[in-house]
Amino acid sequence: MAQVNEQLIADVVRQVLKGVNGGGSSAPAASGSGITSADYPLGIKRNDLLKSPRGIPFGELTLENVESGKVTFEDFRISPEVLKMQGEIATSAGRSQIALNLGRAGELTKVPDARILEIYNSLRPHRSTKDELLSIADELEKKFGASVCAGFVREAADVYQRRKLLKGDLPSAD
Amino acid sequence: MAVSKRSKRFEVLEQRPVHKDGFIGEWVDVGLIAMGSPNDPKPSIRIEGSKVVEMDGKRREDFSMIEQFVADYAINVKNAPEAMAKSELEIARMLVDVNVSRGECIRVMTALTPAKIARVMDSLNIVETMMAMQKMRCRQTPGNQCHITNVKDHPVLLAADSAEAALRGFIEIETTVGVARYAPFNALALLVGGQTGRRGTLSQDALEEAFELEIGMRGLTSYAETVSVYGTESVFVDGDDTPWSKSFLASAYASRGLKMRFTSGTGSEVQMGAAEGKSMLYLEVLCIMVTKGAGVQGLQNGSISCIGVPGAVPSGLRAIACENLVTMCLDLEVASGNDQTFSHSDQRRTARTIPQLFPGTDLIFSGYAAEPNYDNMFAGSNWDIDDMDDFLAIQRDFKVDGGLRPASEEDVIAIRNKAGRALQAVFAELGFPPITDEEIEQATYAHGTKEMGDRNIPEDLKATERLMKEGVTGIDVAKALAKRGFRDIAESIILMMRQRVAGDYLQTSAWIDGDGTVYSAVNDPNTYAGPGTGYKMSDARWDEIKAIPWAVRAEDV
Amino acid sequence: MQINPELLEKIVAEVLAEMSGGSSGSSVATAAPEDVAGVKLSETGKAVRGTDPKEVVLAISPAFATTFKKTITDIPLADVLRQVFAGVEEEGLHVRVIRVYHTADVAFMSHLGARLSGSGIGIGILSRGTTIIHQRDLNPLSNLELFPQAPVIDLPAFRAIGKNAAKYAKGESPTPVPTKNDPMARPRYQGLAALLHNKEASFIDRSKAPQELSVTFE
Repeated sequence: MAQVNEQLIADVVRQVLKGVNGGGSSAPAASGSGITSADYPLGIKRNDLLKSPRGIPFGELTLENVESGKVTFEDFRISPEVLKMQGEIATSAGRSQIALNLGRAGELTKVPDARILEIYNSLRPHRSTKDELLSIADELEKKFGASVCAGFVREAADVYQRRKLLKGDLPSAD
Repeated sequence: MAVSKRSKRFEVLEQRPVHKDGFIGEWVDVGLIAMGSPNDPKPSIRIEGSKVVEMDGKRREDFSMIEQFVADYAINVKNAPEAMAKSELEIARMLVDVNVSRGECIRVMTALTPAKIARVMDSLNIVETMMAMQKMRCRQTPGNQCHITNVKDHPVLLAADSAEAALRGFIEIETTVGVARYAPFNALALLVGGQTGRRGTLSQDALEEAFELEIGMRGLTSYAETVSVYGTESVFVDGDDTPWSKSFLASAYASRGLKMRFTSGTGSEVQMGAAEGKSMLYLEVLCIMVTKGAGVQGLQNGSISCIGVPGAVPSGLRAIACENLVTMCLDLEVASGNDQTFSHSDQRRTARTIPQLFPGTDLIFSGYAAEPNYDNMFAGSNWDIDDMDDFLAIQRDFKVDGGLRPASEEDVIAIRNKAGRALQAVFAELGFPPITDEEIEQATYAHGTKEMGDRNIPEDLKATERLMKEGVTGIDVAKALAKRGFRDIAESIILMMRQRVAGDYLQTSAWIDGDGTVYSAVNDPNTYAGPGTGYKMSDARWDEIKAIPWAVRAEDV
Repeated sequence: MQINPELLEKIVAEVLAEMSGGSSGSSVATAAPEDVAGVKLSETGKAVRGTDPKEVVLAISPAFATTFKKTITDIPLADVLRQVFAGVEEEGLHVRVIRVYHTADVAFMSHLGARLSGSGIGIGILSRGTTIIHQRDLNPLSNLELFPQAPVIDLPAFRAIGKNAAKYAKGESPTPVPTKNDPMARPRYQGLAALLHNKEASFIDRSKAPQELSVTFE
């Protein structure tokens, strides 16, 4: 029963916000976009908000357009805006850690595939010196504007130092 | 053993399958104990500001990397003083009480320390654990997942098995390999076969973490699961990760719009020789909390590949049900095991599955063998394709939704054949070693690899290397299918690719219906609050479950 | 594939003794290693990175062929070594053996072997028989060939593993050693494997570097 009430409240809130924004559906998905679990799934209920990273509307991501070359593999990527909306949905459903993860993910959308794999491998135990980790954090922050991820990597560097998980902390290092 | 004249009864009992199982006594020093080790820490918490400065009797400066991560990311410090003040018994009773809402239980359970959670579980008996599961699982509608593998890594058989499994109702399909370098073909076979069987089927490759991510980025898989976490620092490091690297990986998946869950399970730490004398369940609680802290939507647990260990000690299968329950109580999706052989005894095999099947979980099996077990490259599942009709009968006997549906022989033959032909088309279009009509015929009617010929493995492996090097993507596969006349399957692959733009299946416990609608704990939340509430089987679904093809119909007699 | 009742009984007896006596198995770790019948292994110093492209490095676990004399299915470890040597040598290459002390994780052992190997190819074998063929530039938890089910690896398989490792070292693309799968190995052996692994793990010395071994078959 509690679930139904929450849903109702969310619907009301959404309608109010729509009124405030003067129509709502065209409102940009910036912070405080008012997206809640009532808008879920976005792919069905709010696909007007969904776009590929270079701006192709969701409805145009079709087989025909793939065949004609109008859309390519690169268009089938999530954007930081959509990750933010999904984060808001998770928050409104009481799952703040998921929102935090999706926040980091939003930052990582700008990091190329190969570099993401490299950074992941550098974060594995005994792979990097503390300086190497700190320079990755700087890179994330300065090059990609990924300040949350940068903070996370700096935290890892401290923990790895304390727990002897840095490069050179193993006898087998060759 | 010292009896000189043997009892005939005992001689008969010794010949029973259960006597082939390994049973071992508890060995507390190394952590060969399921629950409640005397070495498990005593629950405690001390918070200064908003920081946990002491947890379960340990000071912050002495925290392992896991404890630090859990303390900082997985405990709601605002609610902790109130929640930790409750007794284990009081919290256990909340979990079972239909008058205490799921939301209230979540509020308390997410504010406890690992040791406290382990003790709450130890206050429940197995039926109470099942009652709590019915209320606490995230998504209302239960589902099921299977393994698609074979000992030859034969791609045509993989595609056919995927199609049949999807037709039978598995919402997720998972593969692994005999030879690691075959993995790209396995992914391709599951993608094509899965979408042939049912539009929306989620598929994954269980392999080395970095490779899984790469192949997921390409759109050859739609989610990842084998992203393992462990409960002791040294085993986590042997697993070549830390909570930070794993969390970064989780964010990397989400940044590409890919669903993922972590994997853990009781017994892995002692199996790897470093349980530090702690009980299997206590260490598993740490794993579940790492998952929670990483912001990952769900977890595969239920011992998984180490089930021979908890399966061999007292109260082990109960501990496994408890680890599933803890996952639910932390508001995480659970893919609840039942995916590995652990017993020669059919009675034990069935009993092991009841705690997940009867209350229902998000994915009752995290790997039902959709092939005969001799072809299951996860070293065998608790149930395999030869048990399928038993499973369907049990769903019908108890009116319980295990996620599967009866399928007719002609439908299965037709869908297997189509999957083989579709994969043949993709191989031809992408210039991979040809798939012959004979191979398709074999796979259409096969029980397993015993009916399949051999492929030229070195040639296949050269092709998989080329697939990776050239960067073949899901879009290339869709184009190939469309070009060769498999437009419907091509459309399905595009539908899967679109999911990663919308991101709806990043939410907790998500699966994709045939029309592309995503259902998850957000739009299908568990509302169980006692009899008459929660999941209610629709009439259509009940008719489907009732209609096992081999039942005698009254009107025919 | 026979269960090994002698070993099982021995282990259970040891466990029971330890449980009642309260002592852990680690006290024997410092005892002088004794050779198993058929092979003599002696340490010659810290293992180093090789430059010989014709070598395959075999990394064995801390108690391989000292405390442990047989695999989980009772295959003498001297015979295991002999077959791996034979497999490599029939391809015209040779084996260099190292003992790893800081881990008993077969993935990291074999990857270390590969990194120290002049050819970039390594093999790792645990006392209970679990085996991996690894390559230097792969991730530690990836592999060229993995044999995760110790109970199904027989002596011909060990020879084939040696042969394939040598072929990889020569830059060839051999057909992988046929995969065997016994879905009932886990229920029968996993509890026992956990016991054996905890025994082996009690010999881990996290501060000790891998050692070079000279191997003499008798």
